[in-house]
Amino acid sequence: MTRLLPACILAICAGLVAAAQDSSADKPGTPSEQYQALQKEFFTASRIIWQETTEEERRLAVARVDKIPSKLLSLAQNNPKDPIALDALIQVVTIEYWLNTHTSHPGWGKDSPQAEAIALMLRDHLDSDKLGEACKRVHYGFRQECETFLRTVLEKNPHREVQALACLRLAQFLLSRMERLDLLMDQPELARRYQGLYGNDYLESLRRQDRAKVTQDAEALYERASKAYSEVKIPYGGTVGETARTELFEIRHLAVGKQAPDMEGMDQNSQQLKLSDYRGKVVLLYFWSEF
Amino acid sequence: MKELAEKPFALIGVHGNGYEPKKLKEVMTKEKLNWRSFADNGAIFQKWSARGTPVYYVVDHQGVIRHKWLGYPGAKGIDTALEKLIKEAEGKTQNTSK
Repeated sequence: MTRLLPACILAICAGLVAAAQDSSADKPGTPSEQYQALQKEFFTASRIIWQETTEEERRLAVARVDKIPSKLLSLAQNNPKDPIALDALIQVVTIEYWLNTHTSHPGWGKDSPQAEAIALMLRDHLDSDKLGEACKRVHYGFRQECETFLRTVLEKNPHREVQALACLRLAQFLLSRMERLDLLMDQPELARRYQGLYGNDYLESLRRQDRAKVTQDAEALYERASKAYSEVKIPYGGTVGETARTELFEIRHLAVGKQAPDMEGMDQNSQQLKLSDYRGKVVLLYFWSEF
Repeated sequence: MKELAEKPFALIGVHGNGYEPKKLKEVMTKEKLNWRSFADNGAIFQKWSARGTPVYYVVDHQGVIRHKWLGYPGAKGIDTALEKLIKEAEGKTQNTSK
């Protein structure tokens, strides 16, 4: 019942906004023009959420964004050979993630546009050399389809650069999904939100997964990324090898339950300071900075 | 924090602006911060994967990482965790002195 009410309001608002906009936004241009128009609509509507607006204005903005994924999906389905199709599908993945994370949009349940976009990418674009960006966007997600996508791209995409990114992103996805599941234990409100978005059955199945096995799986993927794809560049930052080795160190040495690595250096009085000198005491390590 | 002075506990800072110890000292004196802090040039932050601040790690009396918070977990979260671990540490000291 609590979920139905916002959904109804959303549907009504969405209807009103759609009626007001259909005349201008849906004039068919080239696929690329249509994509640009939908992108513009997303940026305009999503910007409202960050501004100091009323609840009502935010709700209307969410309703505007709610309409975009299905349009992007149609665009991709109607133009499967056009390079813009992949951009449109990647954007669907992003928009659903954005709605889930930054708004109270009730989600789509089994009719998730993200899941459909992933299915279409696997069907029409599995051989594309541009799937690296898709791997990045998909790995922020939470659904089972995200894991399936990354595994399939890793095994079947013919381009080494894409395989490298799929390998790294899959490791990150598996670990972050487990961490997010842990967060739900202390945050009942977030837990209810996840139930609404992803369904209780899925959450339960994740809770039953063998944690040690997931960690091993991620470790093996990091090893593989570090050995087989080390020098492949990650767009906007570092190489696959560096990132994999850093994150491998994190799960092996910086996770809860691990022996802390030693820490050595100068303190503010130029005195030698060493973490292991504090053995026998509980230590709160506080990483801080000034802005 | 004062009531922790007698307890097996230490707060250690890792400062990440890359200041020399002298400059860090000035900052800490001005802000009346009386705990010890590493003046890190980036190496510790990198090794410990601290990509922003604040980041907190709680290490128990045996050197095992027991908590890790990316962001402020709230005073209550920190206090509860520390109290429990300090009791563990004290329990151990008593056992060995028997």
